[in-house]
Amino acid sequence: MIRFGPRNLRIPRFEKPVYVVAGGLTDFRKKYPEKNSSQLCTEALRMAVEENDLKVSPEEVRRMVNWCVYSQFADHFGDQLLAAAKIHDYLGFDPLGNIEVKTGGATGGSSILSAAQAVASGYADCVPVIGWERMDEVPTKVGNAYIASAACKDFESELGWMYAAYYALMAQRYQYENKVPRETLAQIACKNHEYACYSPYSQNPGKYTIEDVLKNEVVADPLSFLECCVMSVGAAVLFLADEETAYKMTDQPIRLTAICGGTHTLRTADRRHMPILLLPNETEETYKDYFSHERTEWPGFSSFLASRMAAYLAYNMAGINDPVEDFDILETHDAFTISDIQTYEDIGLRPYGRGREFIESGDAYFEGRLPTNLSGGLIGTMHAVGATGIWQVVELLWQLQGKWDKFHADPERWTRYGKKKPDDFRSLQVEGAKRACAISHAGTGSHVTCAILEKP
Amino acid sequence: MTVKLDGTTAEVLNADPLVIKNQKSHFHIHSYGGWSKFFVGLREGKLLATRCTNAECDEKSLWLPPRCECADCWHATEWVEAPTVGKVYTHSTVLYPGAPFRASTPCPLISVEIEGVCTKLMSYLKEGDPEIGMPVKAVFNTENPTNTILDLSWVPA
Repeated sequence: MIRFGPRNLRIPRFEKPVYVVAGGLTDFRKKYPEKNSSQLCTEALRMAVEENDLKVSPEEVRRMVNWCVYSQFADHFGDQLLAAAKIHDYLGFDPLGNIEVKTGGATGGSSILSAAQAVASGYADCVPVIGWERMDEVPTKVGNAYIASAACKDFESELGWMYAAYYALMAQRYQYENKVPRETLAQIACKNHEYACYSPYSQNPGKYTIEDVLKNEVVADPLSFLECCVMSVGAAVLFLADEETAYKMTDQPIRLTAICGGTHTLRTADRRHMPILLLPNETEETYKDYFSHERTEWPGFSSFLASRMAAYLAYNMAGINDPVEDFDILETHDAFTISDIQTYEDIGLRPYGRGREFIESGDAYFEGRLPTNLSGGLIGTMHAVGATGIWQVVELLWQLQGKWDKFHADPERWTRYGKKKPDDFRSLQVEGAKRACAISHAGTGSHVTCAILEKP
Repeated sequence: MTVKLDGTTAEVLNADPLVIKNQKSHFHIHSYGGWSKFFVGLREGKLLATRCTNAECDEKSLWLPPRCECADCWHATEWVEAPTVGKVYTHSTVLYPGAPFRASTPCPLISVEIEGVCTKLMSYLKEGDPEIGMPVKAVFNTENPTNTILDLSWVPA
C-alpha cells in the first residue's frame, strides 16, 4: 500500500514561462550505416535551425544557446560511453555546459523536462534538446536482450530477455479484467501503421487489415509483431526558450504549459495497491462499481501508476479539466497495442476499465475528437529510444504551428530520404489545433512524463 | 621506441560506408550482495522472502523479490520462508526470447500471487498450460543449479 504525505503531490510550477520554438528530425531506419550518430544529430539540428522559419540565422542561434540537454537511452547499444560529450563537441557547443538524461523509454520526455526546468528557473534561456539512438550495431535478438537489461537483472531479465513478454503479462491480466476484443487492439496497430504511410520519416508504414494483425506471428502471447514498436536508428532535436528569446527566434512559439514526471517500480512484480489517484474529470463516484472478482486492486498490472501520476501533476499544472475536450491532438507512447489502451485510461481519456471506447468510438482517429499518434507512433514510425519523446513533441509543435504539411507533404521531403511520396497521400494537419499532449513512457511504467503544449 | 600491432584485424562487413565487426567477449563479476540468501535458498529448495522488522512500519507483508531494507521505512528486514504454493496472477508464453535466454521455447512466464506476500513474483511454469487463478506450487532446480532466478519455477498444484 502506497501512502502519500501532504507534500508528495505538490503541483509543480515554472517560475518563468517556457516555449518550444523549433524542431528537427532525421528519417528513422532499422539500419543506418550511411551516417554515424554524430552526423544524425547534426542533421536533425540543421533541420531545426534552417527549416523552421526562424527570424534568426543558424549562426545567430548558435550564439544564443547557453545550455544543452542530451537524450540517449542505452550506452551499450551505441557501444560508446559519454557519447553525449562526443556529439556536443561535434556540434560545436563546447565549452557550454550540458547534461545527459537517461530514463529508459521516457528518456526523450525526461530530457525535455530537464531543459524546461533550466529555462523555467532562469538558469538558461535557449536550450537545444538533442536525442538519438543507434540500435543497429547488434542483431535484433541481442537488441532485445539489451533492452531487457533495463528490467531487473537479478529477478526478471533472465525470464525471457524480452520486454514484449513483460508487457504481454500485463496484457493477459488486463484482458482477464476487461475483456477487450482482440480486434480492438488490432485496430490501434492498423491506425498507427496507416498514419506512418503519410510520414516521410517513418520506418514501418503499411496498410493492414485487422485480419492481417490477428494472423501475424506472435512474439509473446498475445502480442504479435505488428502490435509491437520498431527498433530504430535516428535523431530528433527540439529548441526550448524563455518568452523573450522565443519571440526573438520565431513569430510562432508554442508554450509548454506543463511537463511533469511520475514513476513506478521497475519490476512489475513489486507494484503494491493503493486507492485510485483521481484526475480532475473523475470523482470517487466514477469508480464506485469498478472493483470486482477480477479487478481486485489498483494499479495492479492493468494500469500505469507512473502515467496517472504524470497526468495528475501536468493536468493540474496546466488547468486541464477534461483531456478529450481540452486537447486537440495527442501523442502516446504506443510501444505495444495493449499499453496504448492502458494509457488511455491512465491519462483520463476514459475511466479505468473503459479504455477500449477511446479507439472503438473513433475518438482516436484523425477525424475523431482527439486524433492520436498521427505521427504513426512507435508502432508505425519509430522508436529510436533517446529521440522518441523529442520526436513526439516536434510533431506536435508542427501541428500547432500549422506546419504539418510543410514537413510531411512536400515531395522533396520524401526524395531526400530516398522515398517516393505515396499517390494516396493525405494531409493529417489538424486544422486550428490549439492544445496538445505527449506521453513519454519507460519500462513497464517505470518512468512517464506528460507534456502539454499550447498555442499562446 | 617501436610499437607493434598484435596482428588481429576487425572483419570488414561493408566497403562503403566502411562497416567493421567489433568483437566483444567479456563477462561481468556480479554479486547478489545481501540478496545472496535468496539465491542460495533456491539451491536448497527454499523460497526465502523478507519482512520489515520495524514495529512502527505499516507494511507487514512479505517481499518477494526480497529486500534487505524496507521500501517504506528504510529499516532492516528479516528473512522468512515464504509459502511455496500460490496462484497464477497473469501469464504470457514467450515464443521469441532475447539472445541469452537459457530455457526452451515456448516458455510460459507467470506472475505468482502468494498469500501474505505484497508483490507478485515473476517466474515460469515448468509444466502445463497457464491460466489466471490456477493453483501452482514451487519447484527448485537443485540438481544442476543455474544460480539465477531460473532455479525457481512452478508446476500445477
